[in-house]
Formats: sequence, structure tokens, C-alpha cells
Amino acid sequence: MSAAEAAPPPHIGDYDVIVIGAGITGAMIARQLSKLQGRFAVLEKGAFPGFGVSKASLSQIHLPDFCPPGSLKGKLCRDAPARFKKLAGELDVYYREVDELWLALEAAQVANLEAAKARAESHGATGFEIIGPQRIRELEPHVTPEAVAGLYARGLGVIYTPQWNFALIENAVQNGVQLHLQTEVVDIGKTNGGIYRLTTNQGTLTASYVINAAGLYTDEIARMVGDGHIHLSLRKGTMLIFDKSVSHLVRHMIFGTFSESHSQDIAPTAHGNLILGVHYVPTNNKTDTKVSREGIQQTFELGRQLVPALSQKDIITSFAGILAQPDMTRDGDFHIAASQHSPRVIHVIVGAPGLSAAPAVAEYVIQLLADAGMPIEEKTGFNPKRGGWPAFGIASIAEKQQMIAANSKYGHIICRCEQVTEAETVASIRRGARTMDAVKHLTRAGMGRCQGGFCGPFVLKCLADELGITPTQVTKSGPGSHQIVKMTRSGFKSCDG
Amino acid sequence: MTTALNLDLAIIGSGPAGLAAAVKARQLGIKDVVVFERDERPGGILPQCIHNGFGLQKFKAALTGPEYINRYIKMAQVHSVDIELDTMVLEIDKNRILTAVSEHRGLRTYQCKSIVLAMGCRERPRGAIGIAGTRPAGVFTAGQAQRLVNIEGYMPGETIVIQGSGDVGMIMARRLSLEGAQVKAVVEIQPFASGLIRNEVQCLHDFDIPLLLSHTVVEIHGDKRVEGVSIAEVDERWQPLEGTVQFIACDTLLLSVGLIPENELSKMAGVSLDPQTGGAYVDELLETSVPGIFSCGNVLHVNDYVDEVSNEGEIAARGAQSRIKGRPAGKKKKIALVGNKTIGQIVPQAISGQRAVTFYIRVNRPMEKLTLRIGDIFKKRIPYARPSEMIQIRLPKKVFSELEASTARLKVSCEER
Repeated sequence: MSAAEAAPPPHIGDYDVIVIGAGITGAMIARQLSKLQGRFAVLEKGAFPGFGVSKASLSQIHLPDFCPPGSLKGKLCRDAPARFKKLAGELDVYYREVDELWLALEAAQVANLEAAKARAESHGATGFEIIGPQRIRELEPHVTPEAVAGLYARGLGVIYTPQWNFALIENAVQNGVQLHLQTEVVDIGKTNGGIYRLTTNQGTLTASYVINAAGLYTDEIARMVGDGHIHLSLRKGTMLIFDKSVSHLVRHMIFGTFSESHSQDIAPTAHGNLILGVHYVPTNNKTDTKVSREGIQQTFELGRQLVPALSQKDIITSFAGILAQPDMTRDGDFHIAASQHSPRVIHVIVGAPGLSAAPAVAEYVIQLLADAGMPIEEKTGFNPKRGGWPAFGIASIAEKQQMIAANSKYGHIICRCEQVTEAETVASIRRGARTMDAVKHLTRAGMGRCQGGFCGPFVLKCLADELGITPTQVTKSGPGSHQIVKMTRSGFKSCDG
Repeated sequence: MTTALNLDLAIIGSGPAGLAAAVKARQLGIKDVVVFERDERPGGILPQCIHNGFGLQKFKAALTGPEYINRYIKMAQVHSVDIELDTMVLEIDKNRILTAVSEHRGLRTYQCKSIVLAMGCRERPRGAIGIAGTRPAGVFTAGQAQRLVNIEGYMPGETIVIQGSGDVGMIMARRLSLEGAQVKAVVEIQPFASGLIRNEVQCLHDFDIPLLLSHTVVEIHGDKRVEGVSIAEVDERWQPLEGTVQFIACDTLLLSVGLIPENELSKMAGVSLDPQTGGAYVDELLETSVPGIFSCGNVLHVNDYVDEVSNEGEIAARGAQSRIKGRPAGKKKKIALVGNKTIGQIVPQAISGQRAVTFYIRVNRPMEKLTLRIGDIFKKRIPYARPSEMIQIRLPKKVFSELEASTARLKVSCEER
């Protein structure tokens, strides 16, 4: 049999709605869909949900002070903190409340703060207050003495996006949504019956409605359904994480100035480190997440301008992510709308603050599906609750005792920097982690100051044991990224006898 | 919370410092001694250090790491030292209350009369030195690779570049060569090797592994697994020189770019740290700023030789004994040691002037034909000194009797003649 006569790709599913992309936006939409009657699927080209753009973000939940009056994005992130707080309870994921302090470092910048306050208020947000240097020093003793004024707002938040992304997908799957990982859409056509046929590397699927939530690739998916007008502008942003020993330097989400080339932003993370960003460079390469020396240096300078006591020696890691923003809308506003040529395809093209807006985006998308003719009926038996597994490192002493009493493996700490236990590592693998990176982002094993120096070998063995594979088959982030190449020449003989 | 158990002495870490402290403490007659070890076996880092050269001073023999530590493990058994394995100390406080956790015992608290900190050090990771490029699999610290090869029996890669000429890096260059890997280069940003000359000769020269001084890795390549690194020559400010970038194909990058004393627990107890050593400020009994808490070995300052680490453990045990016996924790008279600009580190940083003292000193740049002075009480001519080789000076008690009672500072200096 010649290659041309090879079997056609298998047909792997028929759905009412297919969501393309399991990043934070796709995950929110999938979870919202799982409340409804119907057959739903999420396709993700990566090996794990949320490991594209969503992972490499600042993970901040904003109020609409960045969003122009009348903009869709402003409307959608107006209640972001309240929505996230509610979801945190339902999904058993961590949400940390952090207040905002936007600084003016010279008199000319005070107008920026007033404009931000006006923008926020135009969207109905309240509680924004302009404060003077003395109040700034009280709130944040370590910010630069050059700060002449600040915009202060309470009740923003930070999360750890990969953990949320995973929880949302888990809850959606628990409520009947099918997840197809490592499934990349390469073409979208139509059947004779007028429904969409999606061709992927794994086989074909059909759907009556398609949600394009493919993040950096929304433009390419749009072209598959004939929408050539959708363009993204891309910037690569570099971010730095600091050791927890300097976390006392910053308590608020502190902002400075914003431009094409930077967002000056330093804040606590959900786990208590400091994250600093973002120095941008324009890019055309969607997979270029390399960090550069200059990127690290310039990002660091942005932070030191706000908090002079920051030291480069306290940086524990740096990373880069691609920020995409619709290029064809006014002020880069979100484009969330049915396709011009294929009215039952909804494009969901967001930029910053896409994470903050995601819960409202999901509701908005359901409304657009209804507008496009989909019958919307809530199903009985939707379970909004998803249980995580307790994290030892952030628990109180009493809680720690309870955890160990329930499962003695909580007494075995494998990641000493973040106090992650064997119980959590095993739980993450049994719930779907297949790589070192997935274990790391779900449990934090390897995210501390030694960056996996000590726990790496244990996580490797744990993955091999749990998955029933050899250590040489364990990967960092999926096929091709194996951690070790072979056993030693001598083979392994324990010196313990 | 269950009630705290009472201990005379808690030792955190069962490496060459902790076990030496434990054995000495038992020899001195201290009763309740518990060593807390987070790994499943005692010994700290030594079980994975299978090369030899340990113990030349303490045992007059060139032992391997496992042989060296096994001698201490046997001594600990002979002296009925209780070693709690797989047990992680979560917290200590200034009142010497210690909280530890293990799978077999759960969470426990102990009220300790004294505590010896012997947690050792960790390696500086990639993020701390800001190497540019992608984030593929195949980037390891040298010690992590050493564990993979010597304990787990795994090969981290087949074609290797090593950034940094720390001792562990050079030792792993040899170890991986013996396992059949090709070590293409050891790249050192400084104009001199940062580890011992002995390792430079025996691990690199003898295996024809190039040591590229004043060079650094400027970029890591490869999306999934490392495919190569770009290296460049650097100027005296460590900035890459234009036109010197070259690509080396490899599947693995090892980092041996410095060790950091692991003082997170010390900080919880309020122990003051010396930014020069990264370890505690101590006196000649290795007592920290918190009475009853002592620090020894690589958590105090990164040592060159394991024998010295064990010696410090013994000193700390003596210090602990004096506390347990009831030496008042009141204000002590202290003479501060102050280095001039050529001095990188001094331990102890302050002394009482009432006892013999072992000083550990590092210069901060290579020097030749120098004179080392400690105040007016000590002077020695030394042919050469390098940052990688610690200078050790032992002064008997009587030397300090020459000091005036009002002395508050002693200047330590190294000057080239």
C-alpha cells in the first residue's frame, strides 16, 4: 500500500461546540459550557492545558483602570476580582488579595494617574484614590522617595494561572467536557449538512459551533474559516522572579509607567515571591520565548526605578512570554465576535488584561452562541465544586498535622525550598501531570530558590514509578525533552549494600 | 499542638559537620542529642562524592566521600547518636523551639537547650546568573548531575559543557568523561579557576578537557533538549566581547557557579548573617548572634576541605556544651575582626579574647608574596593566596593576653610586599 492510499485520519468525535485552545480563556469558556446541556470538547495542541501564553503571565487580576472608556475589555474586567474570588471557592484554588499602588515619579506623571482613575470610574469601578508621598511611604516603605503621588485602589488579586487553568479544565471535564490534548487543528471545513469539520493531527471532529480561543494562533484559525482581516500584534515580554527573602520590599501591586516597550509592574505572586515585569520587544515569532541578557537587565532596571533596594543577586529565575493583542480594533480592544464568513464560529481575541476578563469573557461567549442560534439550556447536576489537594507549604501547623494524619506521605518533604511533599507530587501525577514541568507548575516542586536542584531527581523517579515508564522516558515538557539519556555504563549498584 | 519534647542538643544536618558535632557532643557527655536529616540516608552530600581525597588531615588517608562519612556514621552508632532520617526541620525560633516533620513520626516540636546548624549549602541555579536563551531539558547544576550519576545511576547527557570551574564542576567533568561522555569545555568567567588547583590538574588537565578562562556561556540553544551553547570571551567587567562568540554543540549544560550557605532556618531564628560569607556571624565557639544556636561547616561559610567542616562541627559541639552546662547568655565582651579591602571573608567575625581561636580567611583576589596581619598580635609571610584557597590561622589563648582590655577591633589585612 502506498502512502497515498494510507487510511484516512480517524474520526474522533462529534460535538455541539468545540473550543480551540485550553489556555485560561478556553478553560473559562469550557467550564461555562459545562453548565449547559450539550456535547462539548476542548482541543489543545500542547501536552498540558495552559502551558502557552497563560503560563508566562504576571497572573494579576486587575480592575479596569487600564481600559479606555467604552471599551469591551473595560466592561469585561469591571468585576474581575469578585468573579475570581467566587471561583476560587468553587474550584479550591488560591486567590490572594493585593492592593494596587500606581506611582507617579514626577509631577508630569500625575495626570496619568488621574486619567487611570477616570478610566476605572467610567467603567463603574469605585474606591480609586490619589494619595501623596507620605501615605505612599506608609503603605510601601521601600518604594523610591521620588514618588510624588500614587493611585491607590483596594481589592485586586493575584493567582497562579497554571493551577487555575488546570482546575477549570478539571471541573469542565468532571461535568462532561471532553479534553483532547496534543490535538492541533490544521484545517476547518464544512460537511454536507453544514456543520464544521475540523481536521487535526489526531483525526477529524465535527461541531455545530466553534470557539476560536487559540491565543497566539487565533489569527491562523480565523484564516481557516475565511477571516483574513484578523491580525495580532506581538510583543515578547521578559519577567523576573525574586527570592522570598526579599518579599518584604513590596506588598502592593506597584505600577509605574506604561509604553510600547514596557509595563513597569512589580508585585507579590500568589505564592509569596515578587514578580517584576515587563520589558517588551516587538516580535513576529510566536515560539520565541528566549530570554536575552538585555531583556533581563532592562526588566531589572524597571524594577529598581520603583524599588531601589532590589538586588540582581536575589533573582531566582527569568522567563519570557508573548503578549498578543488584536491589531485591527480601536486601542487594541478585545475582538469577541462571530466570524464574518462563518457565523457559527466565534473568535475570542483578547490582549491584556485577558486573564482578568476571562470569567466575563466566558459568559459573553455563551451569549454570542445564543445569538448565533444555539439553544442554551442549563443542565441539572452541574457540579461547580472541584477539590484540589491540600498544599503543605502554606498550611498552618494544625492543618499540617491533619494532612499527615490522613496521608503519611504528607510527612515526606521532597522540595525543601517550597515544602512540597511526596503526597502532592503523587496527587498531581494521578490527576494528569505527565512531565517535570507539569508537576512543577501544579505543585511548585522546583519553583523555589534552588530551582529543582534537590527535588529534580525525586520528581523524575516519582514520574517514572507512577506512569510505569523508565526514567529515560521522563520528559521536562513533552516529547523530545527527556531529562536523562541513559543509565550509566556500569549500571547502578547501590553502595548501601 | 502536642507538647514539646526536651532535647539537650539538636543538630540540623547529618553531613560531615553535623555528625562530627554529634560525636563530639556525646564524647563531651551531652545526653540527649538528636541529628535531623532530611534525606533518606545520613551523610549530607558526601555519599554522592565518590572521588577520593577526603580525610587527609583528619584520618591521614585519602578516602572517598562515602568512606569518610561512613567513619563518622560508625562513630555516631558507637556513641548512640540518634539520627532522625527523612525528617525535615520546618522551623526554629530564637527560643530554640524546633519543629520537624517526617512520614514516620508526623509533626513534632522540641525545646532544645542548644542547636547546631549544619545544613550545608546549595548550588546557585541558572536563574541566579541570568544566562540568556531557551529553557530546554538538559540544564543541570553540577551537584544535581553528580547525584544522578553516582546515586541514581543515570547519565544526564553525552556531550557536555560546564559553566564555572567550581570544584564540583571540575570533578563532574572527570566523572562524566569516565562514564564515556564527551566534556567539550569548562568555561570560567574569571581569569582563574574558582576551584582547587588539585582539581584543575587531576580533573581537567589529565583528561585533556579545555578550561576556557575569561569566558562565559551567553546563550542556551534548543527548544526541547539542549542543542548547544554560545560562549564568548569577557572583559575584566565580565561583559562579553564582540566578535568572540562561538557555538558549541552539546546536549547538556552543567552549572558550577557557586555555592550558597543554606540559611533559611537560621533566618527564622533571627540569626544575623554576614553578607560576605552568606553564613552566620559567629564567635570563636561558632555561636551565632542568638545565644545557644551555633553554626558550623558549609552553612557557616563554604569550605575547601571536608576535614575543616568536621573540625568546625567539633568546635560547635564544645560551644553547645558550655551553654548546656549553664554558661550565662548575658552580654559578652566581643572584639570585632575587621578586614581591609583585600580580605573577602573572615570567620569568626568576633572573638572574646579569652580562648584559642581558629581563623578562616579568604582573600578576594589572587595575590603573591603577601604579609597577613591580625592587629599587632600576629604577622605571617605567605608566598601566595587565592580566593579559592582558604587561609587558616590558629592562635593560642596567650596571644590575646597582649591585648589591651579596651580593644574592640582587630584589623585583618593582606598586603603584597
